[in-house]
Amino acid sequence: MLPRASRVAVVGESTSVAGFRPLGFSVFAVEAPTLAREAWSELVGGEYGVVLVTEGVYRHIEDLVVARADEMVPAITVIPGAGSTGGVGQARLDAAIERALGTKAFIREEDG
Amino acid sequence: MPALRVNPNRMELMKLRRRRQVAQRGHKLLKDKLDELMKEFLARIGASRRLRAEVEAELLAAYGVFAIARGEAGRAALATALASGTPADLLEVRERNVMSVRIPEFEVAELPDPGGYSLVTTPLVLDTALDSLAGVAPRLIELAEREKAIELLAAEIERTRRRVNALEHVLIPQLDEAIRGIGMKLEEAERSNLTRLMKVKEIIEAQGER
Repeated sequence: MLPRASRVAVVGESTSVAGFRPLGFSVFAVEAPTLAREAWSELVGGEYGVVLVTEGVYRHIEDLVVARADEMVPAITVIPGAGSTGGVGQARLDAAIERALGTKAFIREEDG
Repeated sequence: MPALRVNPNRMELMKLRRRRQVAQRGHKLLKDKLDELMKEFLARIGASRRLRAEVEAELLAAYGVFAIARGEAGRAALATALASGTPADLLEVRERNVMSVRIPEFEVAELPDPGGYSLVTTPLVLDTALDSLAGVAPRLIELAEREKAIELLAAEIERTRRRVNALEHVLIPQLDEAIRGIGMKLEEAERSNLTRLMKVKEIIEAQGER
C-alpha cells in the first residue's frame, strides 16, 4: 500500500524558499542548515511525496539523503538556492550514472 | 577461488550438472534484465539532464525577481505577505513497474492561486515573482520524479550487475571445476578397476597353467 505522500516540502534558507509557501508547498525555512536534520524524520515520514532541498542545506544533510536513495518516496531532489552556484544536482545525477555503469561515462547531450 | 568440496560419485556429478544448467539459465535471464534496465536508464538520462538545466535557470531567474520584490517592499513586509499560504495536498502518487523496479509517478494537482496578501503594501513585482515560481513548480516536481526513477534504476542496475558477475565469474567456473574434477576421479577409478581386473585375470591364468 502506498503512503499518501501527497505534499511537497521545500527545505532551505528562508530567502530561497519563502516564495513557495503561497503555492501550497510545505516550507521548512531553516536558518541554520543543521536544523534540517531535526526536521528530517518528519520529512521522510510518508506525508511528503517530493522533498526539495536547496544546495546550501543539502551539503549538511547529504548522508541523510543518500541513506534514502533506495526508497520510492519521498523523491528527494536538490535545487539551487538563492545565491548558490548550482551544479550539485547535476553532480548527483552523475553519481547515479557512475553507480549504474560502474564508470564515469561520457554521455553526450543529445542522447536520450 | 575456493573449490567446491563434493564427493566424487555419479550422483554428485548429476546434481552438479543440473546446478550448472540452472546457473547458466539464471545468468542469461539476469543478463537480459541488465541490458533492458540499461536501455531504460540511458533513455532517461538525457531528458533529465536537460530538464534540470532548464529548471535551474528558471528558478534562479525567479529568485532574482524575488530579490527585487524584497528590495522594494522590505524584508519584513515580504515575509508577512508570503506567510499567507497553507500547505496543500498537491500530489497524487502512483506506482509504476519498470523491469520490476518500483518507481513513483506524481500527478500534480492545480496549484493554489497565490494571493491573500495586501496589494497595497506589496509591490507589483511580487506578483511577477510568484507567477514565475508557479510556472516552474510543476516541472520541479517532474524533475524530482525523473531523478528518483534514475536513482532507483541505478541501484537496481548495480545489484543486477553484481549478480551477473557473481554467476559468471564465481559460481559457474566453480561448478565447471567440480564437474571436471569428479569426471577425472571417476575415470581414474575406472582405470584402476580395469588394471585390477587384468591383474586378477593374469594371476588366475598363471594358476591354471601350473
